[in-house]
This record gives sequence, C-alpha cells and structure tokens, in this order.
Amino acid sequence: MTRPETRQEVRLMRNAAARRVSRRGLMKGAAAVGLTLPAADVSFLGAGTVGAAQDAPLGSALIGELEGPIVLVDAPRPATLRQAPMLDALVADGALPPVEERVPLEPLVVQPLEGIGAYGGTLRRAFTGPGDDENGNRWVSGDKLVFWDYTGTEFRPALAKSWEFSDEDRVFTIHLREGHKWSDGAPFTADDFVFWYEDIYTNPDLVPTPQSSFAINGKQGRIEKVDETTVRFVFEDPYPLFLTILGGTTFMGSGHMTNRGFHGGAYAPAHYLKQFHPKYTAQADVDTLATEANVEDWIALFRLKNQWSLNPDLPILGPWRSVEPVNTPNWVLERNPFYYEVDPEGNQLPYIDRIQMGLAENLEVLNLRAIAGEYDLQERHTDIAKLPVFLENQEQGDYSVRLDPGAYGSDATLQVNHSYDADPEVAKWLQNADFRRALSMGIDRDQLNETFWLGVGSPGSVAPDPSVPQSPGEEWRTKWSTLDVEQANRLLDEIGLTEKDDEGYRQRGDGGGRLRLEIFAISGAFVPFPRIAQSIAQQWQEIGIQLDVAELERNLGMTRMRNNEHQLFMWANDGSELIYAFPRHALPVDPAEAMMGPLIARWYVTGGEEGAAPKEEAMLEAMDLYTSAGNQNAEESNTTAQEIWKIIVDNVFSIGTVGVSPAVMGIRIVKNTMGNIPARQVNMQHARTPQSSHPATFFFRTGG
Amino acid sequence: MLSYLIRRILLALFTCWAISVLAFVIIQLPPGDFVDAYISNLSASGSGISLDQAQQLRAEYALDEPIWVQYARWMRLILRGDLGMAMEWQRPVTEVIGDRLWLTMVVSIAAVVLTWLVALPIGIYSAVRPYSPLDYLFTLLGFLGLAVPSFLLGLLVLYFGFVYFNANIGGLFSPQYADAPWTGAKLLDLLRHLPVPAVILGIASMAQAIRIMRANLLDELRKPYVVTARAKGLSEWRAIWKYPVRVALNPFASTIGYTLPYVVSGSIIVSLVLGLPTVGPLLLRSLIAQDMFLAGAIVLLLGIMTVIGTLLSDLLLMWIDPRIRVDD
Repeated sequence: MTRPETRQEVRLMRNAAARRVSRRGLMKGAAAVGLTLPAADVSFLGAGTVGAAQDAPLGSALIGELEGPIVLVDAPRPATLRQAPMLDALVADGALPPVEERVPLEPLVVQPLEGIGAYGGTLRRAFTGPGDDENGNRWVSGDKLVFWDYTGTEFRPALAKSWEFSDEDRVFTIHLREGHKWSDGAPFTADDFVFWYEDIYTNPDLVPTPQSSFAINGKQGRIEKVDETTVRFVFEDPYPLFLTILGGTTFMGSGHMTNRGFHGGAYAPAHYLKQFHPKYTAQADVDTLATEANVEDWIALFRLKNQWSLNPDLPILGPWRSVEPVNTPNWVLERNPFYYEVDPEGNQLPYIDRIQMGLAENLEVLNLRAIAGEYDLQERHTDIAKLPVFLENQEQGDYSVRLDPGAYGSDATLQVNHSYDADPEVAKWLQNADFRRALSMGIDRDQLNETFWLGVGSPGSVAPDPSVPQSPGEEWRTKWSTLDVEQANRLLDEIGLTEKDDEGYRQRGDGGGRLRLEIFAISGAFVPFPRIAQSIAQQWQEIGIQLDVAELERNLGMTRMRNNEHQLFMWANDGSELIYAFPRHALPVDPAEAMMGPLIARWYVTGGEEGAAPKEEAMLEAMDLYTSAGNQNAEESNTTAQEIWKIIVDNVFSIGTVGVSPAVMGIRIVKNTMGNIPARQVNMQHARTPQSSHPATFFFRTGG
Repeated sequence: MLSYLIRRILLALFTCWAISVLAFVIIQLPPGDFVDAYISNLSASGSGISLDQAQQLRAEYALDEPIWVQYARWMRLILRGDLGMAMEWQRPVTEVIGDRLWLTMVVSIAAVVLTWLVALPIGIYSAVRPYSPLDYLFTLLGFLGLAVPSFLLGLLVLYFGFVYFNANIGGLFSPQYADAPWTGAKLLDLLRHLPVPAVILGIASMAQAIRIMRANLLDELRKPYVVTARAKGLSEWRAIWKYPVRVALNPFASTIGYTLPYVVSGSIIVSLVLGLPTVGPLLLRSLIAQDMFLAGAIVLLLGIMTVIGTLLSDLLLMWIDPRIRVDD
C-alpha cells in the first residue's frame, strides 16, 4: 500500500467518523477507524484517485474505475462447451439434453471482467416484497432484444445477434440465434414474435391501448416473420429512433421478463401461453383454469401466467428463472439450463446456481443485515446516510463497499409545475424564467452535498452527467446552478419583486402579502426530501423567498401531484439520461407522472384536445424537438437531446440540486468471496444495472 | 343462561358486521386506491406504468366501481368463505395470512406464557411480602419495564446482539434455514430465535401483570375470610392459594378479550423493528398499499377475535368466580 492511499484513507475515515460515526460512538471498531485499509479495498480506490488533491470530497476516493465484461460480437461458438455440475446428473438421466444442444449455434460470447469463473453457489440478497420485482427483473434482463455495453452508451447484441434498418428506416429487421431455446427446451423462433403481435398485442382484452413506443407519428407498427430466425418490425413512417426505444426500458424494449403483467416485450413463449388463450384453447377450458387459479377471468389468468416472477412454470430466456415466486417470503431463482451466453472457454453461463432473495420486513433491518455481511451482493435499498457505517464494518462483515454514481443530473430536483393554476400570482412567477433562475442561484448545493450526500454527489443543474452521449456538456451542469445570492437578488428585483416585509421576505405583486411558495416533499424516499427542502427554505431566506415545505406520505403526495395541486415537487430526475426512453422527469410529456405540469402532459398526448398548452415559447420548442427525434437515428437524436437539455437548463424548467451520485441503487455491498464484480458499474435504468455488468459472469471464488 | 348465550352471540354477529363496514370505510378513506399506491411505489423505484395500464389494472380489480358496489362484492366473497385475492401479493388472502399466522401465534403465545409464568409468581410474592427488599426491586424493574418502549428495547437488543454476539439480525430464522423445508434443525433454529422477541414482547405486559396481581392479592389478603382461615390454623400456603389467588386472577380472565386478537396479529411495531415475519407488519404494509382485501381481512379477523375473546372471557369469569351471576 502506497502512502498517498493510506493518507487518503485516513482522511476519508476521519471525515466519515466526524460526520456520522461519532454520534454512534458505541459502534464496535470505532477505535480502529483510520488505521489500516483492508487489502481487498485497495482495488476500488482506483488508480486515478491516488494522486487526487488532498481536499477532494469523500466520493472521489471511493468511486472506482468504470469497468465491466466485454461482449465479443460475432465470436464463434467455442469448440467445446461445458456446463454447471448441478446439471450433470440431469443430463445423465436424460432429463436434459447435452449442453451442445442447449446452447444456440451462435451463442453470445462474453469475456468476463477478471477471468473464467467457477460454477456453483447461492447468492443471497434482500427484496422488499412483490412490488420490488424490479429487484429480480434487472438481474435477468439478458432477455432484451438489444442491449448496451458496460458503459451504457453503445449498443450490443443480446437476443438479436444483429439488426438493420431498411426502406428508409421504415423496416427494422432483427436476426435471432439459430438453435436458441426457451428455458423448457422449446425452440425460440420468429413465431414467438408473431404470436405476441397477433394474439397478445393486438388483442384489446390483453393490451387495451396501442403503445406509443411501437408507433411513429401516431401510426402503429406491425411485426412480420421472414423466416424462423428473422423478424421484421414494419412502420408506415421512418422510425430510426426505434433502436434506441428497444434499448430503453420501454414497453417494446424491456424484454419478456420485465413485462410486469402488461405483456410488453415484442415476443412471448407461444408454445406455453396458447393453453391460456381462448383463440387456441376452448373458452370453457380456459375459464376452468381461471377458476382453479382463483382469478376473475382469462385475462387475469393470462396476466398471472405471463409473469416470470409469479409463475415459475413460465418459459423464459434470461439467465435465471423463478423457482419460488416473488409473492413468498423467499424469492428464489435458479439457473436457466438453456441460457444463450457462454464465456470464451465455452462454459455456459451463469456461473452462480441460485439467487435467494429474502423478504426484508423493513429497510433498517435490511441495512443492518448488509452491515453484518449477511448478503453477498446488495445494491438496492442500501442507504447513503449509512455509508460511513458500511465502510467501518467492511472487515468484520467481510465485504467491500463500491459506489456507482447515477448518470442523471439531480437526486432531489425541484420540479416546477408549469401548469399550476390555483394561485394566479404564484403561477405567473413559476412561469417566469428569470424567477426560476434566481431560485436556482439561491441554493447552496455544496452545503447540501456535504450534508445529505456525504460529499459523494455532484452539485449542478438537471442536465445528465457529461459522460452520457445526450449530455450537452460540462458547462451545462453549472449554468444558472451555482450559488450567487447577489445575482439572484438582482434578477428578482429586476422582474419587479422589490417590495419586502420587515422580515426581508418579498411581497406578492397583487398586494396579497408575502409571496409564499410551497414544495411537496415525500418522506421515506432514497434521499430525505423533506430535510433537503427545509435546508433550501433556509437558504432562500437570503434571496427573500419564503418556501413552505409540505411533508407528505408518498401516495398522498403523488395523488395531489396528479391533481395539479403542487407548485414545486421534489423528486429525482432518474431515467432522464436517455430522454426518449423515459422522458417524464425532463419534460411534461407523460401524463402517468408529469410533475412538470400534469395539464401540459395531457395536452401533449391528446394533441391539444384536453389539458393546457405550455405558456412559454421555450417549453413548446423543447417539446417540438422531443417529438421530432422519432424520425432521427440514434446519433442525430442524441444531438437533438443535447439541444433539448440546453433549453431545459437555460430556462431552468426544473431546478437541479445534487446528482450523479450513488444515492439511488448505487451503494453496492459486495462480499469478498465474489469474483468478476466491477469496481464501478454504470447506474442507469436503460442499462438495467447490474445487467450491464452481466451478472451471469459473477461467481464465488470459494465455489459458494 | 341459554337465552343469555344466544343474545350474546346475536349481538356478536351484529358487531362483526359493523366492524366489516367500518373497516371497509376506513381503509377507503385515504385518497387514491391500490393502483395509485402501486404507481407511487414503482415511481419510487425508478420505473413506472402508463395511464392506460393503470386503468387496465383498476378495471381488473374493480376499483373503478362505486364504493358500495365494491363492499357488496367483498361481502359476497366473505359469505362464501373466500377472503379474495391480496392485490399486492397476487395470492389468495387466506394463503398470505396463513403463511404468517401460525408463526405469529407461536411468538405471541410464547410471549403470553412467558409473561404469566414470570409475572404471577412475582406478583404473588410481592403481595405476600409487601415492602420487602425484593418487592421493591421487582417494583423498580416493573416500572422500568412499563416505561421503556418495547420497540426501543428491540432496537437495542438487535444492536448489541450484532455487535457483541454476532447474532443474526432480526427475523425468526437463520438465513440458511429461511428457505429450507421443515426439519428438526430448522425447528431448533426457530427455538433459538424465539426468546428475544418473546422477552421483548413480554416485558411490558409482564410489568403490568405484576402490578395487577400484587394489588389485587393485597386487597384480598386483608379480607376477613383470610384472617379467619389463618385463625383456624390453615397452612399459610393453603390460606393464600385456596381463594385469594383465585379471586385475584379475575382481571386476567377478563384480559382474554384482547389477548386473543393479539395472538393472531402480534405487536405491529416490535415485529417491524425485529423483522419478524408475522401478521402485524403485513397489516401495516397492506394499509400503505391500500390492498383492500388483505387489510380488510386482517382488520375483520382482529375484530372477530376481539368479539370472541370478550365472549370467552365473560364465560370464563363466571366459571372462575361463582359470585358473578347473570341477571335475567
């Protein structure tokens, strides 16, 4: 261990201790704080940070180098294939065909991060109940049609070994892998796409409304079979953005296992699901099955049977399948013996036999168990406020802590309701760009970062991290987003808010007394919204703005937000790093969750028939740009996204605080027995983190 | 006597019906419904569903119908002996509760038995030897037990258990047994985990029981019939046990009314803190998720248990204390 590292560690631990641990003086091992660094931890300090400035924030020392497994595109199938020992007996019995027949002729070859792993073991994790199915979905997202590299920025093959656009981007053709099989051994072919399109997607009982992700300019696409392994997505207008849509977590692109009972994913196991579909099975028989399953009708039955997390019998294509469903105290996954990924030496993946997720009754117990080292890998529900305690118990718990910063701009965004109309005076100011700029410059983001993010976040606007292709650039992280009380006061004076009361607060223009803004802050989220909002309220005293914080229970806050009752709403702008796949936190275009203006989103999706048009020219411009991107290919659409971000940031449509941090699903607790685990991985919705690190390549050094 | 019983049972049935209406109305009171709660939950974990999908869900759960239609549907199910599907869990309510019911009963009964085993002898001792040093000690401990909130005690026990004894954090099983089929080893594992929650749950009621037992017995011991018994040369042991203790037990018989619902629900807060897989946390969770069928079923179950418990304790009182008679 070199000296700088040691020094850095000493400082880091001292900082941590000063921030938090001293209050918990009882913590065992507090005496040892700052002495030594376990050898295993050196790796994630990352070479780049060794020479870092002495006063760099805590985060820079803890965030390792981005790394991950490499997808070897077009690599041939290795000459000899091997399988997990747990399958040997099944093959010998004849219950399973030999591995040569289970792996496709053209498998996906993945070069693991460190090297070839060992088979076996059960990975222990925690989940919080059936609503937490994303916990497992993200681990099995190997069943997406197209996917990304480990940086989350470039496309890589997944189920589709290749694809191309033709007919001026009206036709998108994908090529499947020959010999690819479902987890029950049945062939996976173009017929599974045709079945999905003809009998699921276009069946109004199952999918009542056509999905926007499968439409361009409001015109629906369709699916055609060319041959067994070739499928065409056909559109009436050019739709080059479709590739990006497939890459995102969208109805069309999330894969079959992440369909959550809404039947998305563009394909489905026809051979299995036909028994529950009245087109292929007599209605009376389907009804009997529904009654036996204790559900209302065949639609509910079909929804139940087409969810991997609820139905262990459902054939799937991901690396693991459910053996104990998600609605039990233990959600258990077991390897899919037909999985299509292999390592370069021909070992069929995944290495790990089982994943066992235990139901945690509450988050405190979950975090305490993580500290005790009872989980092998846990990045969900781990609390950033406990980071010092996680660090302190690394040795005792035999784990290491790795931080995965997100790519979106702000964990605690002040989303401005641009369609607020209950108080015309407040609405007038909320729709004034200079007013919003002043509010933004009245926030001391460094203080927030130190207090609530322990210094590991990045202060700035709502724009995504500069490493993301859609980022408008570094300078847009800070535009209108640094503390400047003087300029903020000047702006507020200039727009006419000059009158102040004796406490120094600015007065309403209509003579109604003090100008009071209200923000909805929901308690119990990944970061403490109400406390952050309180801090901002204090900081805004400097610019003479009164902010009232309404701390609300989540469901109540969300319901009132959907009813257009909020002025400001604090929420993460997660997912906005790939704006076309998940636009709701960047622009008010999705009525399902439009904190930036529920009425505007209504107006947008109904083509102006309902809701209310945005008041500002710039907002219209940004929304037009967003709409136009559908006709652009991935590269062009990224340039458009940069333009959209520039408009959003320049007009401060919403106010960013601190982001690009590991606060949400980025505090990763990794048992030291595990191998092929990246020091740092991307933390993005569309990269289905940790799928971007190919969990199928994770393994136990000790064999479990 | 018989007419009294019939009257009580009819009244109990009416009370249960009233509970069902109240439960349904109260659960529906917060804004939004299960689908709203589901969407909020998804948003919090960084994903979401479209409005159309929400509408589809709402139709499937019949949440788009007026509240009295929903109540009628629920009642029809219940009268058929079907508690419906738990929306969040996508499983029949009976199964979801059933998973946890017997574990809850094991924990609760352990706590109740422990309470009585410890509290009754101490209470008797304190009454027989009032103002002795041991009585003062028990009084002090008793007030401490009453004053310390049990969830705080739970947190402390978890923390020290982890730091000094490297114990498993919360729950009723070690991780390796949580998913294992039932074996002798798993049963032993459960028995090893049981004392902590049983003691934590038991301590508050233990203190209370000691106080009640001591006060009642003190009252009884001063009564003339005890003096007479002693004067007639009855051994001290018999003079205390034969009647005074029996009479002093009356209040315990009347607590069965609320012990019974407690046995099936367990303590919500302590179970939550200790991460116990019992019915209590399930109720809280279903209320947050606005899972009408599950929350309704649990609240109704608790109500019915209270009604039955009260009936039982009245009957038990009549049996223990022959002086209590029904006025016809």
